[in-house]
Formats: sequence, C-alpha cells, structure tokens
Amino acid sequence: AMAALGLCRAFGALLLSAGSRRARPPALPQPCLPGPVSALAACRGLGGSAPCCTTDPLWKCRTKYTVRPVGMKKTGGRDHTGRIRVRGIGGGHKRRYRMIDFQRLRYEKGAPPEPFTEKVISVRYDPCRRVRGAGSADIALVAGGNRKRWIIATENMQPGDSIMNSPHIGRMAVSASEGDAYALGALPVGTLICNLESHPGKGAQYIRAAGTCGVLLRKVNGTAIVQLPSKRHMQVLETCVATVGRVSNVDHNKRVIGKAGRNRWLGKRPHTGLWHRKGGWAGRKIKPLPPMKSYVNLPRVKAVE
Amino acid sequence: VFPGVRQAQWLTKTKLVEGLPPAVQGTVDNPALGLQELEERARHVVSHARLWDTAEAAPRREKYCPVLFENLIHICRSMSGKYPSLRKRMLARNCRIAATWERESILLQVRGLSGILMNSMTPIPPVASKEEILATKEHVLETFYPIAPTIDLQEVNVYKELNDTGQCFRDGYPYSHPHTLFFLESASVRTDRFRPEQLRAKMLMFAFGNALAKAKALHGNDPKVLEQPVVVQSIGTDGQLFQFMVFQLNTTDLVSNDGIKNLVWIDSDQNLYERAQCVPEVKKRVVTKPAGISGFQPDTFKKFLALYLHGTV
Repeated sequence: AMAALGLCRAFGALLLSAGSRRARPPALPQPCLPGPVSALAACRGLGGSAPCCTTDPLWKCRTKYTVRPVGMKKTGGRDHTGRIRVRGIGGGHKRRYRMIDFQRLRYEKGAPPEPFTEKVISVRYDPCRRVRGAGSADIALVAGGNRKRWIIATENMQPGDSIMNSPHIGRMAVSASEGDAYALGALPVGTLICNLESHPGKGAQYIRAAGTCGVLLRKVNGTAIVQLPSKRHMQVLETCVATVGRVSNVDHNKRVIGKAGRNRWLGKRPHTGLWHRKGGWAGRKIKPLPPMKSYVNLPRVKAVE
Repeated sequence: VFPGVRQAQWLTKTKLVEGLPPAVQGTVDNPALGLQELEERARHVVSHARLWDTAEAAPRREKYCPVLFENLIHICRSMSGKYPSLRKRMLARNCRIAATWERESILLQVRGLSGILMNSMTPIPPVASKEEILATKEHVLETFYPIAPTIDLQEVNVYKELNDTGQCFRDGYPYSHPHTLFFLESASVRTDRFRPEQLRAKMLMFAFGNALAKAKALHGNDPKVLEQPVVVQSIGTDGQLFQFMVFQLNTTDLVSNDGIKNLVWIDSDQNLYERAQCVPEVKKRVVTKPAGISGFQPDTFKKFLALYLHGTV
C-alpha cells in the first residue's frame, strides 16, 4: 500500500495550531556545532511538552529534526574530564533547546530542488543564544510544504510574512526582500546579508549575531566577496546561500544589564576580583585589515586575486 | 500556525456555517419543552459535579468532567417520558473508528478511539435543504499556500484501507446510525488537553470519519454524491466550555476540489458557567467571591438538549 498520511486523532494528533509555545528548538546537530549550545525544545502544538531539562549527557546526539524544544543539560563550563575548562559559566535560568535549521535551502524529503516559499508563523526569543556578547537573535518558526522549522529571524520579520528560498542564479540580479534566502550570485551588489555560509550546502555559520549584517561587495567570475561585520573581506563561491537583511533584535548591544543578578540569570558567574597588571595583550590595537579570506579552491584563487 | 478547523475543512471538503442550524435552533427556542425546571436540575447537576462530588476540597478535572457529562445525559434521557423515540438510543464508549478517503491524490485516514458515541435506530434527517447543498458547489475551499494542508499529520504506511463503523456495529444491529459524538477533555494538565480550536477540529474529523464510514456501509465504496445526506452531531467539552457541531456529509467524492461540499455548523465556546468556587475567596477578610456556581448559562444546556433531541422532535 502506498504511504499514506494518517491522522491518529485520539492520541493527540497535532494540528497546525500552536507552533511553538515555550522552549526553543535546539540547533540542528551538525558536526561543526560550536560548544555547548543549549536551546530549549520547541513547544509542541498540543498535548504534553518536553521536560525542561535532562540529566542525560547525550542530549546533543539527537539526529532527527524536531520543532519541539529539547531538554538541555547545563555543563557549568566543565568538560568531559569534569574540571572547569571555561571559567565564569554556571547557574542561570533553565533553558530548552530549539533545533534551528541553518541550511535555508534544505528541501523536504521527496521535494525537487527548486525555489520554494515559506510562511513565517511566529517570531520569538531564543533563550539559548544570549550568553556571549551579541547573541540573542530572535528565531522564527516558518512552515512550508509539509514541514516546520526554526530559522534565525531577520529584522522586521513578522508573523504572516512569506519568504522565498531559491538556489537559482539568473543573469539579472533579483530584487530581494528582507528575509528571503538567495544564492549570492543572484543578489545585487551592495545588499545587506546575514546567515552566510562558506561552502555551498554547509549551513550558515557567519553573520548570525543580533543586529549584524554583511555587505555584498562585488561579484567576480564565479565567486562573491562579502564584507563581514568585523570589516574582514571574505570570498566565497557564488552558489552559497545567504539571507537578505539584518539579523533581528538590533538594539541588543544597547541594552543595559542593570544589576549583577541579571548576569547570573544569563548563566554568567562573577569574575575574580584579584587585581593584576595587564600586559601586552590589553589595550586598543590599530593595525591594517587582515587579508581577504578565501573559501574558494586554489586554482580559482590564482585566477581571481 | 493556523486554526485547526480550517485545515480540517480542507481535508474533509467542508463548508463552515457559523452557529447552529435553524432546525436545532428552533428546538432551543421552543417553549413547549418545559425547559425551566430542567434549568434548575442542570444547575443542581453542575454543582454536584464541580463542588460536592469529592472528599477533598475541589474535584479534579478528570473527576468532574465525566461526572458532569453523565449527569447531563441523565437529564436528557429523563425526557424520554415525553418523547418515546428517545428510548431508541444507545451509548457506546471507546469505540474504534476507522475511515479512509482520498483527497487530491493523498490518502488520508482517521483511526482511533472516538470518544463516546451515541447511536440511534433512525438516522437524523438532513439538516440543510437541497438549495443549500447545491450552493456549496460555488464555495471555494481555502488553500494554505505555501503550507501544504497535510502539515503536521502523521505519515504512516497503510496496509489495509479500512472503513469500519466500529467493531460492534455490524449489519443487523438495531442501533446502527451514529447520532452524536461526545468528546471530554479531562486531562488535568492543561498542556495535555486540546485547546478549543483543536478540539473543534478533532470533533470535525471524527464526525466526518463516522459519517463516511456509515455512508460507505450504506451506499458502497464508490465516491459519489449522496441523495440522502448523512448527519452526525458532535459535542466537545472540557467541563466548562462546550463546542457544538452538526456535520452533514453530502458527498463521498472527495478527490477533486470542486463540486458539492459537505456542510458543518459549529457553535463554539459556549460557557456553561462562569466559575465554580469551592471555597469562598476572601481578600482582607471580605468575601470577594462567594462559594458556588456563578454565571450559569441556561442557553448552553438548552443547546445540549436540543442536539440530543434532534431527530425526534
């Protein structure tokens, strides 16, 4: 018999209502995932919700993507030997991880690799991206076809918007609206982009912090050159996908913590109070920009730069 | 994402009409039913379920929801002195329902325990007139681009396309027509309960499943427009909010998006009472909320009774 879609109603079948309630989905378990990224599991539509935290040390090993928030285990800065590896981490509010899909062009199982639209269902705060510096980008639940996923929301993304994902590079540049994801070769020079990937299909690893944006500087041969928020230039293949616009929560760096307790809620422990004279590592440094970083294979680089 | 009823409408090819159908509404407004003393009994029943039925301070939802339902059904059944055909009804609990249908080349099925089912010997007469049925031809089902209408549905492998009205309702069984389905949301944790929107969608899907299984049992498995539409009612509650629904199956031809559609009348979010206070709430030694049931709405009970009596009056 052919595969059918079954509705098992009496057992709490999920309708589309109530996309995410409390927790955020954990990021996708990519092999290059940095450190202890803990995100609260996305809330399920109906019925029960995932536990708030687990003591299972293997909570990060989940392979199947789910929109529901996943319980996290806090590490307290300790590595696998049990000793503190990173100082100043510990405590803080419980969080559930919501798995975020950084690869915008991920097609559904059985779907053709062509441009598709998705609809933004809700935009919410992510408790798991706020520890260091400008974290705390908001995340958006989008739905397209038969699946839902979390993505990093761009500024001005509202529930009900439609966003377009397309790998196609045409001769003319596409007039992209905010939130869409296109290949770099299809975007006009000078657009603000975020969620950039270094190799096609790898998933966004750059420009993900709150309020950041990169600028597409020029397009050469088969590559594109992007200026990152640190003013470093980066050369990538033009088939790499990036989203258009600035990352959400732009005023994040302007917020005032206000009290020591708020830092403790974020999971940051106090610094040591011992005064020591700072050495050559401290102070403002003025130096020329490092050379352009190229993620394109060597034969191409010789021809271009 | 978007309300579940809209998705359920697309899946069952149904047109939604707000409010109860005029036939049922007429029964509600009919003064000859003697609803005044019944209202008194209903109040008593709500107090019993919510306040008096326990040794602890307040009964939990798992306890009071079924008790309330049983008492309401008892009041309705006691009307069978006036309407003898009410005796030809029968309640079944935990009956399994299975119905399969194809919707634009996607095979869908409803399986599972369908709450409490009330069957009768005679079917409910069609509620909508012929003109209304023909008018649904022009109604366009809404699409949810770019979201597929089958989102959030579980994908399973179907080995047997099953259409079954329930294990116990074989041919020749006297009470063979599904009359009303009751859904009680009695989980104590709020996240385990269905929200009103989701409950309405669940009611719609199960009513559709029952109606479809019955129609296929009566008229065969070919998709076609039914001359005698099958009507199934559905009531869902969580102990306080009631959702009433009347579903009429006009066609089993569900593959295409055009043509005659099914009809559903939904009356949603009817409160039976505002609050039931077991212990009086006292703030600064002044009683702010006295103990007891406040805000009792007799209309909700009248609708419950009207749906129960539908088909006999």
